Amino acid sequence: MRWGVTAPVLLALGVLMLATLPLWGTGYVLSLLFLTFMYAAIASSWNLISGYTGYVSFGHAAFFGIGAYTSGILLTKKLAQLSAPWPVAVLVAGVVAALLALVLGYPALRLRGPYFAIAMLGLAEAVRVAVTLAEPLTGGGKGLSLPPALVDVPAYYAMGLLAMVAVALTHVVATSPVGLRLLSIREDEVAAEVVGVRTTVYKLVTFCVSASIAGIAGGLYAWKQSYIDPTTVFAAGLTVRAITMTMFGGQGTVWGPVIGAVVLTYTGEQLWARFPFLHTALFGGMIIVILLFLPGGVIALLQERGWLPRSRRV
Amino acid sequence: MESAVATTNALTLAQVAASGILLGGVYALLAGGLNLIFGVMRVINLAHGELLMLGAYAALGLFVLWGVPPLLALALIMPLLFGLGLLLQRLLVSRVVRQPPLTSLLLMFGVSLLLTGAAQQAFTTNFRSVPYLSGSVDVAGLALSLPRLVAFGVAAVLSAAVHAYLRWSRWGKALRATAQNPDVALMCGIDVDRARLLAFGLGAALAGAAGTLASFIFTIFPEMGGTYMLKGFAVIVLGGLGSFGGAFVGAVLLGLFESFAAYATNAQAAEGVAYVLLFLVLLVKPSGLFGLREG
Amino acid sequence: MTGFSRRRIVASAAAISGVAALALTGCGGAQGGGATGGTASDKTPVRIGASVSATGSNGNIGRYQKEAYELWVEMVNQRGGLLGRPVEMTILDDQTDPTTGAKLYEKLITEDKVDLVLGPYASSVTLSASTVTEKYKYPLLAAGASASDIWKRNYKYVFGVYSVAESYFYGVIDLALKNNLKKIAIVNEDTVFPNATATGTAAYARQKGMQIVFQEKYPQKATDVSSMLTKIKAAVPEVLVGGSYEPDSMLITRQMKDLDVNVKMLAFSVGAANPDFQGSLGAVADHVFGPSMWEPDLKTPGNKEFLDAYKKKWSRDPDYHSATGFAGGQIMEAAVKKANSLDREKLREALSTLETTTVLPGKYKVDDTGTQMGHIPVTIQWQGKEKAIVSPDNMATGKPKLPMPEWKAR
Repeated sequence: MRWGVTAPVLLALGVLMLATLPLWGTGYVLSLLFLTFMYAAIASSWNLISGYTGYVSFGHAAFFGIGAYTSGILLTKKLAQLSAPWPVAVLVAGVVAALLALVLGYPALRLRGPYFAIAMLGLAEAVRVAVTLAEPLTGGGKGLSLPPALVDVPAYYAMGLLAMVAVALTHVVATSPVGLRLLSIREDEVAAEVVGVRTTVYKLVTFCVSASIAGIAGGLYAWKQSYIDPTTVFAAGLTVRAITMTMFGGQGTVWGPVIGAVVLTYTGEQLWARFPFLHTALFGGMIIVILLFLPGGVIALLQERGWLPRSRRV
Repeated sequence: MESAVATTNALTLAQVAASGILLGGVYALLAGGLNLIFGVMRVINLAHGELLMLGAYAALGLFVLWGVPPLLALALIMPLLFGLGLLLQRLLVSRVVRQPPLTSLLLMFGVSLLLTGAAQQAFTTNFRSVPYLSGSVDVAGLALSLPRLVAFGVAAVLSAAVHAYLRWSRWGKALRATAQNPDVALMCGIDVDRARLLAFGLGAALAGAAGTLASFIFTIFPEMGGTYMLKGFAVIVLGGLGSFGGAFVGAVLLGLFESFAAYATNAQAAEGVAYVLLFLVLLVKPSGLFGLREG
Repeated sequence: MTGFSRRRIVASAAAISGVAALALTGCGGAQGGGATGGTASDKTPVRIGASVSATGSNGNIGRYQKEAYELWVEMVNQRGGLLGRPVEMTILDDQTDPTTGAKLYEKLITEDKVDLVLGPYASSVTLSASTVTEKYKYPLLAAGASASDIWKRNYKYVFGVYSVAESYFYGVIDLALKNNLKKIAIVNEDTVFPNATATGTAAYARQKGMQIVFQEKYPQKATDVSSMLTKIKAAVPEVLVGGSYEPDSMLITRQMKDLDVNVKMLAFSVGAANPDFQGSLGAVADHVFGPSMWEPDLKTPGNKEFLDAYKKKWSRDPDYHSATGFAGGQIMEAAVKKANSLDREKLREALSTLETTTVLPGKYKVDDTGTQMGHIPVTIQWQGKEKAIVSPDNMATGKPKLPMPEWKAR
């Protein structure tokens, strides 16, 4: 297929529209795209650890949540004199999330695939309980109220930036030897070890990077929403979305999570407006169908049809 | 929040212990089914909690519509869930049995979402319960909750029945053989596919039974499956180890842990107990949940 | 070109263009399509938006509030509407989820462009949704919330409709003291409103010289509180007060019976005053106390009319949450009349200084944070199959029956 000049022009047009959205979109559309970017970032981060190394992280929401609370605490000046402007708060959120991943991942990543998944499931819940118990700091079950500022526009750009960074990072990893090594862990970890891949280091670093992206997303979310509580930011639904979106788009690919995020956020919103509960069932059904019939997701489908190159770049 | 307890005496502790043990009954049934499925097929059934949930709703429906008491409803619900288990196995699980465990994990995860969403749509998310039994029974100065006592009894009987079945019946032995080594079992002339069907069906039936019992002890809502599932795994990790009877012991242990944790701190913290416990034990036994042949 | 194959660009362009296309269409298909523009004739309907839990853990109670909103719209339109214009109300379902609530209000405000809003049910949802209404400067009448945290944030656009959660149990405590009961146990669910209730109750109890023998929180959506009840039994309180919502009020009562935990006085913050409480628990509900923001027997202005109209429209008795919802509409109506405009700044002004009566006991009057000061809650007790108002004295319809008989003695 020859696309000549059309492709870059379309691309530029799309980017321009997104960049100028605050000027012509309603607050609701802005929020919707904010959410889309957020899911794209979270799904990409999930993809990094689960899609590439095969270590399915069922507790990803824990990192989002801890990021949300870190940024929330810093923005509400709960810790004595420790307060910070939002860019700092959000970045620190990412760092804290990475630290949590280090602490949890170090022991957890020793477990084999499915056992790691279950352990993370439990740990994510444990983190939520811990945050709820730390009431003086986090407000416990009452939630945390941040100063309400109409920061929709900067938040939109910031989240868009995060999504771009996540995708770029995935691209870099995918097209480098690092990506190959991660994939080797997924395919056969024992063999990878034998060949000299330092699996523990790779797994851990990937886990931490993945967590930090989710943490920053959480931090931005808290800043924009102005109110967070444990049930919302640690919601299992977040992990579910990350998984479904990545699998739909294609796990272990660069653009898979983005495609999944875009398609599923939009359909999710439409469905949710009319059939609030159907979208959980739909996500479930989607996962089943994809697993059985299209394990590689949309990207694999496109690759088979020749629309996309069969390379790791995609 | 501090709890200013007037006297922590032996009676109170015994009371806490009793509550904990009774709590274990329902967990045992759930874990037993989970254990069976994993043992025979190496499939981690992430949808097991949802099967319990369906059992609970079935009991609710039967009670509200036709006044069928839950204990009687068991006779209807168990075969129903058995059938559902067969269906799931035949249509979905059988396709991924020989694939990497991750695939089956994600598949069952999808199933659990599907079932939860369907339940939310069909039953609404309002909290409900079956007002069946209530009141306490006085045993040696301890007030034992009547509904829990009954549930425990039923769970114990069912567990013993299944245990006996696995031990002495022909198909029970076939199941255990398949669990040990499917290839050898096949060579010995055991219909391995059928064994798997049976295992999933039986496991689902047990989950349904657990749900029926849970319906008059706990609150019913579509998302209830998730918590039970995690507890089920904690139980298997604690005492399951491939042994069906061991799951019962593990369940009672978990119940005790939770009860005492809630007593020592508060109900909030006790929630986290099962999860952390699960994690710690998994760490200590990194070679896998059961130390059996790797999937 | 390294790394940028054309096909990949096409795929990304397609994805991005797709998103852009969505944005352009403004995600069409949204409920209650925004009818903007057009001449502002005085027959253009006034559009009011709200989200109320019709489902979710508190769906049972939320529905009472929703019904009340709809009844108010019907009645106000019979009177000619607001400023002569008919009222149209869009009520969405937030499933008692704070995030969903916030999202819905944002949608109603920015996408559906409603003129006014009314509050959701539950303090947690209100806390979250009010951040949206505050940002967009829409005055919000919290017709379904009472935790004082809502008014501790320096917001200018949130107004209370009934007494703050902290004061819910003042009547119960006063009654307890009058009957010489001194030892109290307080439990609450760990969310916004119950925490507020418990904090306020504890402070008041201590102030009045009661002894708090036990105080603990339990998690949201708890399914088992037996260990906590065992501790309570050991602490031997005379009064047990639960800062709870309907499902846990019922759970605690049932488990108290199952574990034979007996107290002389039992009270719950929500659920106890609801007609379904006795309906579901039967004899077990007898003797239970609870605060109520409104009761059918009260002789407040327009109350009988409200009661009759509600029963006629919905074929069931209203709960006090119906009354607070209805009052929210009444207050909005009064504010619009006072400001003689739908301008939201003028309405904010009006709501800050307004004093008016509604079907609720007491009157509407807020302080400069927006907290409701003029409302007077009552305390009820289940006596047989009926509720009796036992406090305050000038509104009482019956005398409190104490102590509560033991479970085994029933």
